[in-house]
Amino acid sequence: MTIAITPEKVPEARGVFTPELLDRCISCGFCLPACPTYALTGVETSSPRGRINLMRALETGVLPDDDPTISEEASFCLGCRACEPVCPAGVQYGELLEEWRDHLWNGRRRPFKVRPLLWAVNSPRRVRSMGIVRRHAGRGSEAPGSVNLMLGCFERVLYPRVSRAARELAAELAAPSAQGCCGALHAHNGELARGKQLAKELGEALPGTIVATSGGCAAHLAGVLGSDRVKEFSQWLFARDGAAAAKPPADDRPRIGLQDSCHLRNGLGVWREPRELIARVGEYVELPSAAVCCGGAGSYAIVRPKDSARVLDQHLDEIADADLDVIAVVNAGCYRQLQQGVKRRKLRTRVVHLAELLAGEK
Amino acid sequence: MAATATLSGLRGRLEEVVGSEHVRTDVGALVTFSTDATPLERGRPDAVVFPASAEEVAGVLRLANELGVPVVPRGSGTNLSAGTVPHRGGIVLVLTRMNKVKEISDAELVAVCEPGVRTLELAQAAAAKGLLFPPDPGSQSTATIGGNVAECAGGLRALKYGVTRDYVLGVQAVLATGEIIRSGGRLVKDVAGYDLRRLLCGSEGTLAVMTELTLRLVPAPESSGYGMAYFPDLADAARAVSRVLASGVLPVTLEFLDRVCIGAVEDYAQIGLDTSAGALLIFGQDGNPAVIERDLERIAQACATEGATSVRIAESPEAASEVLEARRAALPALSRLEPLTLLEDATVPRSRIAEMVDFIQEVAERHQLKIGTFGHAGDGNLHPTAVLDSADEGAVDRARAAFDEIFARAIELDGTITGEHGIGIPKLRYLERQLGAEQMALLRRIKAAFDPNGILNPGKLGS
Repeated sequence: MTIAITPEKVPEARGVFTPELLDRCISCGFCLPACPTYALTGVETSSPRGRINLMRALETGVLPDDDPTISEEASFCLGCRACEPVCPAGVQYGELLEEWRDHLWNGRRRPFKVRPLLWAVNSPRRVRSMGIVRRHAGRGSEAPGSVNLMLGCFERVLYPRVSRAARELAAELAAPSAQGCCGALHAHNGELARGKQLAKELGEALPGTIVATSGGCAAHLAGVLGSDRVKEFSQWLFARDGAAAAKPPADDRPRIGLQDSCHLRNGLGVWREPRELIARVGEYVELPSAAVCCGGAGSYAIVRPKDSARVLDQHLDEIADADLDVIAVVNAGCYRQLQQGVKRRKLRTRVVHLAELLAGEK
Repeated sequence: MAATATLSGLRGRLEEVVGSEHVRTDVGALVTFSTDATPLERGRPDAVVFPASAEEVAGVLRLANELGVPVVPRGSGTNLSAGTVPHRGGIVLVLTRMNKVKEISDAELVAVCEPGVRTLELAQAAAAKGLLFPPDPGSQSTATIGGNVAECAGGLRALKYGVTRDYVLGVQAVLATGEIIRSGGRLVKDVAGYDLRRLLCGSEGTLAVMTELTLRLVPAPESSGYGMAYFPDLADAARAVSRVLASGVLPVTLEFLDRVCIGAVEDYAQIGLDTSAGALLIFGQDGNPAVIERDLERIAQACATEGATSVRIAESPEAASEVLEARRAALPALSRLEPLTLLEDATVPRSRIAEMVDFIQEVAERHQLKIGTFGHAGDGNLHPTAVLDSADEGAVDRARAAFDEIFARAIELDGTITGEHGIGIPKLRYLERQLGAEQMALLRRIKAAFDPNGILNPGKLGS
């Protein structure tokens, strides 16, 4: 048996992580019940506190870069940041995860499934050409205004109606199509510097306020450009309109649930606004897991489809139990995840973006 | 770590008991089970197992006896005395798969559950039937009920409702040697034999592994109300507490923050606290609304009589929530000051609180440390919290020296070195000073009777 050595001599730090970020965790474990992957496994190793201990082991050289548990947990984490609002010590877990993946996934170790995604959105020109055949709100000739709509990269291809709906609701939004990806995908998948650079470039292409219809993009952009300049659509619209009176209750009002965007809620603290806006057009139904990650989690659904589906299952159960007419989303990744899940389960519930919902009901 | 020859077959033998998917021996997993919520203490286990039943727990313990390998039972790992740190290696036995609430009976006022149920889940299940499970340690959202019983957790309601020990009616436990026993049951009155369920409560995983708990519940109070009072000095607040209790009022909440904590909370949360005050007392009552109103008035009166500079009774639930926020923010606020936070729980009789807190401040200054003290004014349970800069190399040693003095003083004042966190690893060296040599010897004989081969959480209580 080994004899306890306390306190353990701290070996030289390797500089993988910003020391102030890694030092913050006091190991209280309050994050455990908030973590979806801990809920799935019940194993400390797959919890935020466990992963921070793995990061510390990596930082001090106790575990090597190619340790299989390190690799697995860096990838298994959804990156939903649900651990942040419950943390009494204010650990910025999302930033630690970005640094972790930036170190681990450099070069050959990046999951091969995310490589083509990152390539596709790596230049504004490529992003623009992706959306060229779709009828999104962007206008090539349009100059940036004082408030600009971010078109997104995958969103403009997969859900072009979202930006059109946003413009219907807010004609003052300028939408020049000469804008690239915000870089969130890069930052979350091990290309932190590139992710920040893309955000800055977008900030130059769209001077003034930027309004994003995806919570994930908004949180990443706000992290780089500041939350004064960057607003998520529901946050911006709610601030613009104030607390407008809801329609009088009627029997035929649709029952509408919401899937929170994790980074919007946990990163930017925006959760009340989309609920208030929904209540204007229907009967808002709070699902028990509304605030829990749906498993879409950016590229997670593509990189780890099985785990992503396990995380989604509970949400589908709740949507079915509540017999919702509509489940509203505020992020492109959640949109795709729920659309596929609802289709697979053959539920009658429609999945729509909040902007589409509000525009459609106008 | 145990000898390699013993360990080579360990994984396979454990897999036979719990199934291969419930054994972890990868170094990464072992690293994450090397610590709990206690700073500075760590030790890497050789294996982590996740049993699903008392029979599987018994199988693991029999195997550990045969191989002479330590076993450390663990719930969510939130304890603050390194009770779940495997500092001698061996097997970490995680009980979180045993997480069923089996019964909540509003007719019998009992709950039956497995040890891996989170304490808050149990409390919520009881609340759904109009019942209250009173023990509410700060970690209740994460901590398991098995861990709370093993550590005899306290909480904010202890003055009025008591601690975990007061709610344990019966336990099913697996002895270190693998036999399964039951002590107590659903009865309020039961004096057949030694009170082993109470002995196991607070035994810190050193005597047996609890696999089912029968707990007492009480009817949920109708309502609750809160207030706060500032005092020029903590001694004034302490006198107010004595006056409250002497007036026939037994409040559900009596929490205090010292000057350092008030400043830290205000810097962090900016909720408008009066940072010129020497102490903040937060009080509360539950029960019938008329009784609450009367009691809060009496408490406010007692505070005013003892020199409170301002007293406020919360008129709405929102106002009450603001009042409680000051206490809730104490640990987060202190922990953000510096990277390393040492949270202790020396406890003294109520009448000695002011004396003790003054002493803590004097010690902190002498050792050049920042120590804020908050805690439970109603039961004398103090939480002196030292925040240390990790770049300050001598800080840990100075903090150890300071706590040596603080614990010695707590014992002198007829207090205890730990009110609710447990002895674990860091406080074992102070225990003899409090209990004396004869009682320490008795503890060791009790430990030997339960655990002849010394496999359960060795090097802690009873060692």
